[in-house]
Amino acid sequence: MTLRFIASLLPPLATGILLAFLFCPSLKNTAAGRAFALFAGAGLGLGVASCLAFLCLLAGVNRSLPIIDLAVALAAGIACFIAFQQPAAGEARPLPETRKRSRFAVILAGIFSLELLASAASFILAFLKEPHGRWDAWLIWNMHARFIFRGGDHWRDAFASGLDWSHWDYPLLLPLAIARSWSYMGGESLPVPAVMAFIFTFLTLGLLCAALCLLRSGSQGYLAAMVLMGTPFFITMGASQFADLPLAFFILTTLALLLFPARSRAGCPGALILAGVAAALCSWTKNEGLLFLLVATAGLFGITFHAGGGKQAFRRTAAFLAGALPVLLIVIYFKLWLAPTNDLMAGFNWDALSGKLFDWDRYEAIARAFFITGISFTQGLVDVRVGMRLNPGAVSIILLAVYLLFAGIRIDKRDRPFLLQTGAILLMMLAGYFFIYVMTPLDLTYHLITSLNRLFLQLWPSVILLVFMIAQTPEGSSPEHVTAPAPPHVKPRPARGRKRPRNPEVP
Amino acid sequence: MLLIVLTAYAVLNLLWQGIRSYPEMPQTDPVTIHEARIEQLKPSLPASGAVGYVTTVENDRIFAMEKAIKNVEYLAQYALTQYTLAPVIVRNSPALPLVVGNFIDGPPAPGFLERHRLVPLKDFGDGLVLYRREGKP
Repeated sequence: MTLRFIASLLPPLATGILLAFLFCPSLKNTAAGRAFALFAGAGLGLGVASCLAFLCLLAGVNRSLPIIDLAVALAAGIACFIAFQQPAAGEARPLPETRKRSRFAVILAGIFSLELLASAASFILAFLKEPHGRWDAWLIWNMHARFIFRGGDHWRDAFASGLDWSHWDYPLLLPLAIARSWSYMGGESLPVPAVMAFIFTFLTLGLLCAALCLLRSGSQGYLAAMVLMGTPFFITMGASQFADLPLAFFILTTLALLLFPARSRAGCPGALILAGVAAALCSWTKNEGLLFLLVATAGLFGITFHAGGGKQAFRRTAAFLAGALPVLLIVIYFKLWLAPTNDLMAGFNWDALSGKLFDWDRYEAIARAFFITGISFTQGLVDVRVGMRLNPGAVSIILLAVYLLFAGIRIDKRDRPFLLQTGAILLMMLAGYFFIYVMTPLDLTYHLITSLNRLFLQLWPSVILLVFMIAQTPEGSSPEHVTAPAPPHVKPRPARGRKRPRNPEVP
Repeated sequence: MLLIVLTAYAVLNLLWQGIRSYPEMPQTDPVTIHEARIEQLKPSLPASGAVGYVTTVENDRIFAMEKAIKNVEYLAQYALTQYTLAPVIVRNSPALPLVVGNFIDGPPAPGFLERHRLVPLKDFGDGLVLYRREGKP
């Protein structure tokens, strides 16, 4: 059973990691780059495998899934092999390794490792306490996985079952990731959903750390990951087996990849395509992901248009959407032909909406909830019987604000528009969430109490990324790879009008 | 330094909470307990199709009480019954030929079963009963 489970994970992980190297070849040049490709690629691979599993179910060939998975992994491997056989001259400046580690960085890495072990232990203890996960896990995600797996050829029946309370309109990335592993194993296994949750929780941590190691410095990476590990709600939600952390992972992957063009002369189309894949996988994970895809596209286009003009904006947005399109088509098919109407849309009518839009008490209640939850959500689940309470705890947005105050702000000039883009996307997401609450047909208090803390958690890793991207590094100076001149073997930047170097990706 | 100390405190505090609750695991997990109870029904149910569901309170109150944040237990019990019995669909209604009775929180109001013409088929103990609905569905 265990070997079969591992066999179910290996092809998607390999596919994802190979795709990351294929689209961002320069990641292979540094340890941080390789770590980034490993973490981002692994999650993307699981997402893509879930899409493949869905297509196999639709085509009625789900028994051939292992062969298809293997063929896809093999194709990605061959594509990588061919791409890496290209002359090295085509590849632009490799990322230099960060400077020799200081004593501070070594101590930080040690503390980080201890915290990582403690967090993994907390996760395992939470799993032992609640092996089926919490409320939404067995009410939605794992239940959908069971229906799909146990339903066999009649897997579609559940979507027309009328069991609206289980939200059958929710996308299928997580249920299918679980169900496909059970298919490989030939039967259900209780730890599989928990292992999937473990993978996404720790991939998010690893990705945050690797992204900052790559784009800023090792110490920033470790500190940021420590803040995320110190967020009790992050580990609790991970062990709860909800889809909010996989969504947080794909949001973080998108925003980190969208920062890559800042370090590239040619706009890094490979990273933009991968960012598009990640953003579309958000919409295959949860309905909020559709909002994110929309907002990320708007943010990318708007900020690039403002900073680089229309041509560049169209080019970058096209690359992003090209990556998003295949997954988006699957989501559209699912929404149009399989999923029942969403509960928020089912209760929609224009008269009620206009009444809500001009009900200022609703705005005040939502703003109050945003404030209280914004400060308190890191501490854990809200007891619905008690309601929202101010509880900042040890790690919260206040800690990040204090850190920024003491560490100071240092933004690399090249990063500025891209960090503005990240900030704009996160703010637009918050605004989108705000107006969904304004318009919700559900009872407002009930809706806020049962969901707002999870919505904030979805954005939390990306907020930490943004804060540590703009904060001064503890070493007090910019990392070497940000300001260092290009290594001597690098060709000089071509003058305008000259032919650009091939494959000019530089994260 | 402040950041390191606070994050370390938060991480260790969470671990300590987990360790403290270790002796009572997993015997207290309500999902595991409920699933073991409901599993007994499986041999008596068809492999697919739909069954009904009744509990201590009227069916329409299961969701109403949860929405009013008064009592989430009835919805949890219903959802866990569905979670265990999937892919058999468990409808929140007594109007089906086979009906699962889940009375872990006590019996229904007097006359409720008679009103819906529910006749016990098998009593599994611990408040779990499988009913047959008499007459036309």
